[in-house]
Parts: sequence; C-alpha cells; structure tokens
Amino acid sequence: MPIPDATQTWSGRINPVTLGATPAEGGTRGRTVTLGGEAGIAFLSSDGETPHPPAIALDVLDTTPVGWPEPLREVYGDVWSEPAGWARRAADLGADLINLRLLGTHPDEGDRPPEAAVETVQAVLEAVDLPLVVWGCDVPAKDQAVMPKVAEATRGENCLLGAVTETDYRTLAAAAQAYGHKLIALAPCDINKSKQVNILVSDTGYPLTNLVIYPTTAALGYGMEYVYSILERGRLAALAGDRVMAQPVILDVGYEAWRTKEARTGDEAAEVWGPIGRRGPAWEAVTAAVLLQGSADLLVLRHPEAMQAVRQTIGELTAT
Amino acid sequence: MIVFSERINGMYRDVRSAIVERNPEVIQDLAEQQLAGGADVMDLNVGPAKGDAVEHFVWLARTVHEVTDKPLSLDSAKADLLVQVVPRVRDALPDTKLVINSCTAAPSYMEKLLPVATSCGAAIIGLTMDQEGVPGNVEKRIECGATFIMTALEHGIPIDAIYIDPIVLPVNAAFKQQQFVIEAIRQLSIVNDPPPKFIVGLSNVSQKCRMNRLLNRTFLVMCLAAGLDAAIVDAADDELIAAMISAEVLLGKELYSDDYIKAWRMQRGLPAQVEPAQV
Repeated sequence: MPIPDATQTWSGRINPVTLGATPAEGGTRGRTVTLGGEAGIAFLSSDGETPHPPAIALDVLDTTPVGWPEPLREVYGDVWSEPAGWARRAADLGADLINLRLLGTHPDEGDRPPEAAVETVQAVLEAVDLPLVVWGCDVPAKDQAVMPKVAEATRGENCLLGAVTETDYRTLAAAAQAYGHKLIALAPCDINKSKQVNILVSDTGYPLTNLVIYPTTAALGYGMEYVYSILERGRLAALAGDRVMAQPVILDVGYEAWRTKEARTGDEAAEVWGPIGRRGPAWEAVTAAVLLQGSADLLVLRHPEAMQAVRQTIGELTAT
Repeated sequence: MIVFSERINGMYRDVRSAIVERNPEVIQDLAEQQLAGGADVMDLNVGPAKGDAVEHFVWLARTVHEVTDKPLSLDSAKADLLVQVVPRVRDALPDTKLVINSCTAAPSYMEKLLPVATSCGAAIIGLTMDQEGVPGNVEKRIECGATFIMTALEHGIPIDAIYIDPIVLPVNAAFKQQQFVIEAIRQLSIVNDPPPKFIVGLSNVSQKCRMNRLLNRTFLVMCLAAGLDAAIVDAADDELIAAMISAEVLLGKELYSDDYIKAWRMQRGLPAQVEPAQV
C-alpha cells in the first residue's frame, strides 16, 4: 500500500523575535538569540522549516532560593546568594539566555525597592554577555513600580520582560515600547484569553511581532496534557494564518518540574524511585521534551543535565 | 470566508452613471467602503450601462486597481463579453489576480470561457445550471456542478481556482430553493478531493424582501455551516460581516477571543471600528 502524502502547507508563520543586542546594535551582549520563525508544526521538516531551534534560558534569582532541592544546591549553592555570580555560572554551563526573576521585590519576600532591582539587573548584565529575560515578582502594583525602572536602565539591551496580563498591561507595554524591549504576554492555560491579551497589548500601540506568549506550564504528571493541547491549538491557529497568535512561546519548565514531589522528595523517603540526583533532572528534561512537541520556542530550565538532555533531543529532532 | 464585494455593479444607478461619465471618484469611494468593511475580492459588473461594455470593464478594473491590489472578479452573465474582457483586463493589469464570474455548465459556455481562464491564469466561478436553465432541485445542481468541476480540471485549471455557485434564488419567489443550495454545497464537497470552493451571490436570497439584511446574514450563516467558502456580499454591511465572523468562530475556523471581531479586522490590517450595534 502506498504511503499517503500527509504534507501540509500552511499560510501562516511564527514571528521571529530576536532578543539581546550586540554593541553594533546598541547593546552590550556578545550575541543575540532569535526565537520562532517556524513555517510548520514543530519538528515536521516536511511541513515547513524551523529556522531557529528552541533556545534554553537558565534560571537566576535575585535572592537566595528557599527550599530548592539538593541537586540544584550542588550546582548553584556556592553562588546563589549573589545573582551576578549565579548568572556567570549559568553562562559557563552553556545557557543561551539568562532568566532573571526579581522575586526579592515581592512585598512578602524582602520588598526590595526598584533601585535595588535595577542594581541587580545591571550587575547581571555586566557579569555575562547573554541576552536577558527579566520577570517581576508577579504582584502587579509592585511590578509596575519596578519594571519600568528596569526597562529604562536596560535601554538598548533588547531584553524580554515579563509579564503582561489581561488586567495589567498598560504600564509594562509603555515601558517596553519606550525603551525597546520585547514582552511576555501571559494568559494562564486559556487560549482565548491569550488571544485577547495580545489584542489588548496591540491596542496600546505595542507591535504584536514583539510579543512572546506564555501560556503557563505544567509538569509531567501534573496536567501537562492540558498545557500541551493549548500549545498545539495556538500553534495550529497561527500556522493557519491567525496573525494575532503568531508569537513564539516561552515555557517555564524548571520552576514547574522542581515543584513536583517526584523531583523534590529525598532518597530516604523515595528509595524505589531512584536517586534524586538523576530523578530531578530527568523529570525536568522529560517535561521539556514533551512540551517541545506541542511547540515551544524558549524553555526556562534549572539543572544543567536537563539542559544537556533537552539540547540533545532538539539536535536529534532538527537533524537533517 | 473570502469576501467578494458586490457593490460596484451597474445595476446601481450611481455606479452606472459613474461608468458612463468616467467618474472615478464615485467608484473609488465605493471600493474604499467595501475594503474598509473587509472585502478580499472586488466584484465588478458594468450592468446595463450604455456604451462599449468591454471598454467600461477595462476602465472599471483600472479605476478600482488604483486604490487596491486585491483580486478583481469580472462579473457578467454574457460569455461572449467575458471572452473579450478578461484578456483585456489581464493585459492592462498583468499582476492582478482575476476571477471570471461566471460560467454555466452548458458546453457552449465552458468551451468559450474555460480556455480564457487557462490562458489568463484566472480563477472561475461555475454556476450549477446548463442550457436548460436554473435547476429546481438538488440533483440537477449536483450534476451541473460535477460536470463543471471535471471539465475545468481537464482544462488544467487548478482546483483551488475553481468556485462553484449553486445559485441562490429569492425566498419570496422560490421558497424551497434555499435548502437545495445548502444540500448542493454538502454533496458537491465530496465530488472532488480536495473540493472546489463554494460561493453564493448572497443578496439574491432577499430580493424585494422587506427584511433583506436580516435574511442575508441568516442565510449566510446557514451556508457557512454547510461549507461555504466565499460569498458576494455588501462588505460595508457591518452586521452581516459580524455574523459571518461569529459563524467562523463557532465553526472553529477562527480562534475565539473576547474581541474576536477586532481580531479579524486586525488580521486584515483594517483599522478598529466601533462594534456593530450591540450584537
């Protein structure tokens, strides 16, 4: 029986979004990273090209993490009290980008003022020459005080700033527009809201082509299927020509994977599960590898072994 | 859905006198209104304007092309006229996509117009009728449609350049015909894989009816549910376009968002507009 030709032609294409800026482009980064640009379903080269394979950012916090499991302490424990040193470690481990979270600005987690956040971001920029993703603390009132300052201080660096939502988007969109940064558009697990956030942000005059979608993330065993179906639905709409949904996607895999009991439980309580040093990174890598199939352009990870495994998977899937 | 704008038609008095007087402003204003409403293809019909119909068509096509690069649909029931018009417009506007509107499934029509479609690289609309006239049932529509699709394919016209029009008749004069149109779309979808595109001349359904706009948009939604791809409509009728977009969202062809009508317009690069009266 002949194999039927299942090749599909798509009218849409994912927007390419470049992060970082070299000195020639007005920034200080050693190189830039471009996300998106796909002309077909993830890793189906017969459908259309994937000009920019998915990129990986490693997590850096502006405050010493609380409760991170042993495998992560082994990698970062000696540097994690100081963000610049932590970022340097992440760069040495081979990250494409640094994912900096300003958690210490949270009113309940230190309430660091905007000036302190700016100092942290500047220290990280000086320590490494990778493009930066910068998130606030997820308290809108505080983020609206902190993030415009961060945007101003990093003018020209073409960072990816997070995140705008259906209810809070004007301040951050204005700051990103004024200082030339890209934006993360967040809509938790809701494809229709995701489209709506993009429309609202676009209404402020911020270009749709500078957005990256964050549909939130779930780990293996914790509702990942739901996120997967949302990823897939959004990508199919974009490829079918829905320009409002044609943004690359960022997924926060590390945070989700390392919250699971499978990745966190110590060996004494989970002997049959195998050693945590393998279990945690494996949980992170498998979550990432599966979500990649649903279409993800930027993965935020934590453990270097997970990063290595995911890179190898991407390499095998994009090999020609 | 592919929106063919119907307004530039010599049946309207303002268009007819603009054609005869060679007044581009009237035509271009109408074209701009249709484009602002979301028209994808500009249907042009010189109607009963006095004078040389071929020259009228060429002037109309050039005049509309001055304000848009969108495809032009050259609309006449006279095959002999289209045979002259299409090559002339092709020469005048070599890079513009053209649609021939329309050709019946009668051999005498297809012999004339299908070679013109091939040689001019134009799409063509086939009516599900032949020399015996408009069918009063589904079966004859299917037969004519299938004949047209097969003959057009034999002439080397690609399937995505073939439109089938199952012929809409006024509801006040022919009350069962609307169901036949819907059934014909359903059945003709399986004649060829992939299927041709289906198109209707929508406002025929409500000719001389008092609530014509309500009938138009209701019938459009019914046809879309059956698999309609295109319609010749008044693109400046906001409520009609809103109903069409809503149907496409409900059919899963467009992704829902609270501002889905605005999203549809954004995707066409159209400026946002005030939403139609609380829908």
